[in-house]
Amino acid sequence: MDSHELDFIKKLANNYRKELFEKFVEVGQGHPGSTFSMLDIVTTLYYGGYMDYRKDSNRFANKLLISKGHATVALYPILKHFEIIPKEDWDNWGKGLPTQLRVFGNVSIPGVDMTSGSLGHGVGVGAGMAIANPHNHVHTIISEGELYEGSTWEALLFVAHRQIRNMTIFIDINNLIILGKTDDCLMLNSIREKLSGFPFDLYSVDGHNPNSIAAALDAEAYQPKIILCNTVKGKGFSLMENKPEWHYMQAITPEQIEQCRKEINDATA
Amino acid sequence: MLQRDAFIEEITKKLETDKDIYFLSADFGAAALDVLREKYPDNFIHCGISEQAMIDIATGLALQGKKVFCYAMAPFISLRAIEQIKTGPSLMDLPICIMSVGIGIGYADAGPTHYITEDFACLRSIINCNIYTTADAGTARRLANKLLKNPEFSYIRFDRHDQPELEVTNFTTDLDYRVMSDTVTEDKVLVIGSGKMAHIVKKAYDEQPEKIFGVDLIHAKPFPKTLLNAISVAKGVIVIDEQTPSGSLGAAVMEACADNDIIKKIKTITIPEMYVFENGGREYLLNKLGLNKDNILKTLNDHF
Repeated sequence: MDSHELDFIKKLANNYRKELFEKFVEVGQGHPGSTFSMLDIVTTLYYGGYMDYRKDSNRFANKLLISKGHATVALYPILKHFEIIPKEDWDNWGKGLPTQLRVFGNVSIPGVDMTSGSLGHGVGVGAGMAIANPHNHVHTIISEGELYEGSTWEALLFVAHRQIRNMTIFIDINNLIILGKTDDCLMLNSIREKLSGFPFDLYSVDGHNPNSIAAALDAEAYQPKIILCNTVKGKGFSLMENKPEWHYMQAITPEQIEQCRKEINDATA
Repeated sequence: MLQRDAFIEEITKKLETDKDIYFLSADFGAAALDVLREKYPDNFIHCGISEQAMIDIATGLALQGKKVFCYAMAPFISLRAIEQIKTGPSLMDLPICIMSVGIGIGYADAGPTHYITEDFACLRSIINCNIYTTADAGTARRLANKLLKNPEFSYIRFDRHDQPELEVTNFTTDLDYRVMSDTVTEDKVLVIGSGKMAHIVKKAYDEQPEKIFGVDLIHAKPFPKTLLNAISVAKGVIVIDEQTPSGSLGAAVMEACADNDIIKKIKTITIPEMYVFENGGREYLLNKLGLNKDNILKTLNDHF
């Protein structure tokens, strides 16, 4: 990926931030903190050539599972851009008009590969998909909070044992869960040390830097990859950044809306 | 022959021509499974003692069009993995077959952690989950072929032990149930059982065929409509079920009758709502808890 492409992805991600922010305001609910923390990862995957786009069918041959299902909305503007999700569905959402879209992802939505919302399923489902499709790649994004779910560790054991190399697991580490910092609520760290006992190739990246994400994706791997993405919950908006309450959409004043718009416009300029 | 062996043998036969079949086990074995995994190692997946991950892995395989059979001990593949069963095959409408071994108090010598006296109620509440219970190896073999031909989201309940063939052959064409005599009349009581309980129903029927219309109910969810026709003709119904009362087979019969405006006297024989710590083997416990032929006949004579 050259610098021109990286600039393009950065700019695109911020445009999607802007679009998603307006939609969150319109819908009045959802999970902006978690969505904005992984937005740069999904933008890199879709526009960095990691999803194997097939123009003839207007579909992606590779799979992307959003195990942290509350953040699936990050995909919607991207899938709209590819005309996989009809523009009308996006426009109608939040206006009380018919739409396929909702806060949590569902396989009934075009381009969404897994129904999610309950945490801890993505690694296992991804493993099954990867076995079924050895010639395609499965990307699974989990939140660090999903490391609290036993089923995640069950599935990690499985992926490690079978050395499923056509699967990449991203862990979105923004250090927050609903009630506060992960290490205050129930310590997860060191995630890297915990995972280092498994036969995975581990990478730690800045989860908001497409260059860093792409470098980990491009690195030659000898074992299944886990990419530890250090991120900021609510990235892009000072109102939300590192604020656990912005896990959920909050009441927002007109002044705050203008401030958010200004910040994202400045970043996009 | 064990029901699970008969079922797995049919899967193994089918694997010769259909490599889209995957058999997943959470560290649970069978003689027939030894053959399957030896012959088709690429189609057998050991998931570890991880029932939850097993259902998730099955979901991923099924999302890609594979035909998946998940296999484990009944108490663990049912309740421990029930949320995965909801979010995977149920919510995404996937034809995963869940093979559950050792229903009721089949693991009598093991104790209450290994009993499963509520799986029917729990799985019955999962949307679109077909529930099958087999009474013998012959039925298991027929069911395997049905599901291999047309896979569907199903929870299949096998007995732990070898049960003799029931010697009742008039299955309904869709394998919903089989009956122990030709016609039901208004002077007969329909006595319904599934799995091992169907054998107890048969014993009661053999003793009083003039009073009983015996049914081995195989496909209990969705409840077979044609069986409702028989219920509407009969004098009443007795349901015997190796489960606790809430949501049991008896409750399913009552709901089906209520939904179809059928008003009949219905009596249920179930395991009482309690954990059984006393041991003595399955037959001892079933007799002590009243799940036997004598209690069916007593219920028949006392209430009908």
